[in-house]
Amino acid sequence: MLWSLKRFVRYRVFIILAATLIVAAFVVPGFLRLNTLALGLDRGASIGLIAIGMTVLLIARQIDLSVGSIFGLCGIISVMLQPTLGVLPAAFVGVLAGAVLGAINGLLTVVFRINSLVATLATMLAFRAIAHWLTESQPVPGTDIMLSITLSNVYLEIFTLRSILFVGLILCLHAWLTLTVAGRNLFAVGSNPEAATASGISPDFTVFLSFIFAGFLAGLAGALQSLTTNTGSPMFGSEILVVIIAAVVVGGTRIEGGKGSALGTLGGILTITALTTAMEFQSIPAYVQQVVMGSILILLVVLDRTIRPEAHARAKTSTQQKMP
Amino acid sequence: MSTPIIALRMRGITKTFPGVTALSGVNLTVEFGRIHAIVGENGAGKSTLMKILSGVYQPTSGTTEIAGNEVRMTRPADAMRLGIRMVHQELNLAPDLTVAENVFLGRMPKRWGIVDRARMVSDTRELLAKLGAPIDANSQLGDLPISQQQLVEIAKAYAAEPRIIVLDEPTSSLSEGETMALFAILRRMKAQGVAILYISHRLKEVLEIADDVTVLRDGAMVDSRPAAGITAAGMIRHMVGREVTNVFPKTPATIGAPVLQVEGLSDGRHFRNISLEARRGEILGLTGLIGAGRTELARVLFGLERPIGGRILINGKPVSIGSPADAVRNGIAYVPEDRKAMGIVPAMNIRENITLPILRRISKAGRISGSQDESLAKSYVRDLGISPPEPERRISLLSGGNQQKAVIAKWLSTKPSVLILDEPTRGVDVGAKAEIHRIVGELVAQGMAVIMISSELLEVIGVCDRVLVMRDGESVATLDRADLTEERIMALATGEAAA
Amino acid sequence: MTRPLDSKPHLVKRFRRETPLALVATRGGLILAIICVLIFGALSSPMFLTSGNFLNVLTSMSIIGIIVVGMTFVLVVGGLADLSVPATIACGAILSLALQPILGAIPAFVLAIALAGLCGLVSGVLVGYVGINPIIATLGVGTIVLGIVQSLVGGVIVYGTNPATADFVKGRILGIPVLVLIFAVVAIAGHLVLSRSFWGRWTMATGGNPVTAEASAVPVRVVRAGAFVLTGLCGGLSGALLGLTLQSARPLVGVGYEFSAITAVVVGGISISGGSGSVPRAIIGLLFVQLLTNVMVLNGVRTPDQGFVLGLLIAAAVALDLALRRRGIA
Repeated sequence: MLWSLKRFVRYRVFIILAATLIVAAFVVPGFLRLNTLALGLDRGASIGLIAIGMTVLLIARQIDLSVGSIFGLCGIISVMLQPTLGVLPAAFVGVLAGAVLGAINGLLTVVFRINSLVATLATMLAFRAIAHWLTESQPVPGTDIMLSITLSNVYLEIFTLRSILFVGLILCLHAWLTLTVAGRNLFAVGSNPEAATASGISPDFTVFLSFIFAGFLAGLAGALQSLTTNTGSPMFGSEILVVIIAAVVVGGTRIEGGKGSALGTLGGILTITALTTAMEFQSIPAYVQQVVMGSILILLVVLDRTIRPEAHARAKTSTQQKMP
Repeated sequence: MSTPIIALRMRGITKTFPGVTALSGVNLTVEFGRIHAIVGENGAGKSTLMKILSGVYQPTSGTTEIAGNEVRMTRPADAMRLGIRMVHQELNLAPDLTVAENVFLGRMPKRWGIVDRARMVSDTRELLAKLGAPIDANSQLGDLPISQQQLVEIAKAYAAEPRIIVLDEPTSSLSEGETMALFAILRRMKAQGVAILYISHRLKEVLEIADDVTVLRDGAMVDSRPAAGITAAGMIRHMVGREVTNVFPKTPATIGAPVLQVEGLSDGRHFRNISLEARRGEILGLTGLIGAGRTELARVLFGLERPIGGRILINGKPVSIGSPADAVRNGIAYVPEDRKAMGIVPAMNIRENITLPILRRISKAGRISGSQDESLAKSYVRDLGISPPEPERRISLLSGGNQQKAVIAKWLSTKPSVLILDEPTRGVDVGAKAEIHRIVGELVAQGMAVIMISSELLEVIGVCDRVLVMRDGESVATLDRADLTEERIMALATGEAAA
Repeated sequence: MTRPLDSKPHLVKRFRRETPLALVATRGGLILAIICVLIFGALSSPMFLTSGNFLNVLTSMSIIGIIVVGMTFVLVVGGLADLSVPATIACGAILSLALQPILGAIPAFVLAIALAGLCGLVSGVLVGYVGINPIIATLGVGTIVLGIVQSLVGGVIVYGTNPATADFVKGRILGIPVLVLIFAVVAIAGHLVLSRSFWGRWTMATGGNPVTAEASAVPVRVVRAGAFVLTGLCGGLSGALLGLTLQSARPLVGVGYEFSAITAVVVGGISISGGSGSVPRAIIGLLFVQLLTNVMVLNGVRTPDQGFVLGLLIAAAVALDLALRRRGIA
């Protein structure tokens, strides 16, 4: 029983993704047509980019709850600066702002030693407040409507610029996590920070960089979103947190750190996207979709928690041995 | 310039913590190509010495030379750079990485930033083969049993090609065969000129593997000599041979009927088939070396862990203890070993700490009776002589001894019939220690049954009426007061029954 | 006044626990700040010192204040924060209105609150028994509950059918608004439970050192879960009152309340790491935030700017807590 559960946990992303795709193919006529897929992929790319950063953070035993706010704020920055800087430099500044906001999160966590959940909960509020402050709570229009059309162009029948970027980045992340020394060290930091320190790896440095990376990607996603819609809005990204965490957890990344995979996150994003597409096609209202996302998140977190009793027992033993 | 022979020379190493001297003037010389064992009772200073050697602690005074050069190590990384590697008793590995990745953690072979996995795995295989460890280099570490993880930890230290390797109780989770394989590899490392420090309380193993033996007692070096001609009995004499200077007051008490009986209790991991009985008016000592399973036994008796077999009887009736609340209901109280982590709520005051387990009893309709709360706390503070005698003082501001008295007061407030004390006098000063012994003596005189877990043999001998000695999770003997000698207990605890 | 300090345990306790600096910073400082806001408000706006304005502040404070009471328990027990508050508020508001025609006003009110308590129970079990991080658990449960409540009523705005209930809730007893009275009852009850009852002591102990608490026969899992159940009930009550007052309920009616409540508790000087705190302190924090907001509104400060000021405030409060903890004072 436990064994088969473990199996399921290991391969869950394939099982869940396959099931979702089959269901989607049945309920959505033409779901497997390329243009439907392209559209879905493009929508998934936005949360997907953020999920890449979240995957890295979760592996390192951290979390960033402020990604939605960074997403919104960076979008606003890249739209608001368009008249003064021009479109592309403005977008560049927007993305950079994401990295800076991520660095703030990293600073709070690493230097001030605030639990990252608490720190990013606070910055989630703060960044959102700044977004409202800058825009007076109104959507801001962009200057170049043509660019949004370019961004929506479909290449090779399936990719948009955004989804190419997402798929490319997630493949890079996969290679980085599995092949490079730095990637493996990230797992070590999340799995046992003391062991990492004892082996000359600095968990603080790793965590700090991870926050910058996550902020950068949220900023990138935000800037792309604003360019695509030709709008910056303080409401952008206010409801994507649960979806992102759910997608990453579906992909087999563990909330408690030390475990995760980029391809898993890709699978998770595809699952969530297919699910959303199918539900929307069935005119299932947004609030029911929220129920589904929330349930996926809670069920998988509970599952992850319950199948690792032996790991907990081990942790306990080692602390007992530590007592002299 | 010839190659130095002396790998490590520590001179006059002293380490004091507030109120305690852990090491005083220890001299230690270890040569390249020899295995140097360090033995001593629990608390003799072995682990402090090792922490100094690994850069975790800095000595209060004294010098350390590595290969003839004086060094100062302020961080673990310094020790590593000097070629010192530790094999800790508690595992220092990442359970989510593979065996090979753990072995090469922090120094993975790479080509253009890419991990050279093939080389890493083949090197690890080679290493594990040398160690005689049947472990797949590609398996995930967390899936392995503890004994194999221990071997990986040793392989990791060995792979770093250290000049000095320190092993702390490396065989505690190894089987006989694995131990033999480990010894073979230690001998090979020795032949390559590595200096090996081997910390153990398994004297038989020490006799088998060590070239030199140093005995520590109470933070001081009492003996250091080549192993040739040394015997277990001789080592034990050095480990315990102490003048009895502090007298333990023993209040006479009449021993009555058994209150707590334990029959064939096992937890499946730390101890097996333990039987004992605690009688009214008696102090039952529970002693043994670290890892013998004493604390784990106490945790099961108190409902913090579940047993897998055996029975617990209170006043002759079998009871099921599934939680501390059950234990309290059955009249069992437990003063834990780790006072800071398990004994006190630091942000609360003495009163709030003392009445914590009995809040339900002194509440009416959910409301805590303020007068009972205060009067109870006040009376225990007075009876146990907690100083300063202010129940409203925050407990974290008290000295260790007074905190311990407050923890004892907490458990007395539950009016237990069996009181389990786990190392009750560790880390408290001499005065407080005597007072705790006096309190315990008075309690048994009033008819309580006390189980005292202690590693300090003089305390065990001075205070206890009977002593159960545990070794490797099994009960090896129960000694009556008349038969208690340090040598006898140490021989039983280490398995050198000849002494 | 001639008795020595030692015979007044409360004074001794306060004095010993916190050095004068911390005392001023965490309690006196806040009261000083409130006085400053009062003076500034009186000088800057003629509206400020009117009884009508104060009743306004008190009334709007009451709705959040009820949640603050529950949130205090969550922070003290070491549960970080309850992010499912918007969902429990929506649950209370929407159901208490939607069920009115079916069940009648009072049963609908009670059932709405009970169901909100059930949401709290689910979060509580996930946190206390399964051991899931409270923020993740309440985020997930909140999302689910909000969706379920919306789908129950079809995702639309619900309107009240019984104006008498609105009149009652908006009415006054002895000149005091009913909302304020309800808040006062909840606050006093919460204060008594936290400071005088065994449950409150257990909550403090669990937040202070869960390992010791467990080893002292405290049922830590139940205590942890209890804090979330309480917050669920408070959210439900607050939402139901909000619904009855407005006689309409949007699904997103409670969004933002969770952060207002956390802000109040943290500004009140209650550490997010748990183990200490009291309901009055949290309410003083709330009072300060409310007065400040009121003064800003009266002076025509834009809403986004208000958010910015409050953000700075929470950052300052957290920074202060951190600085005090680092010195081992608070």
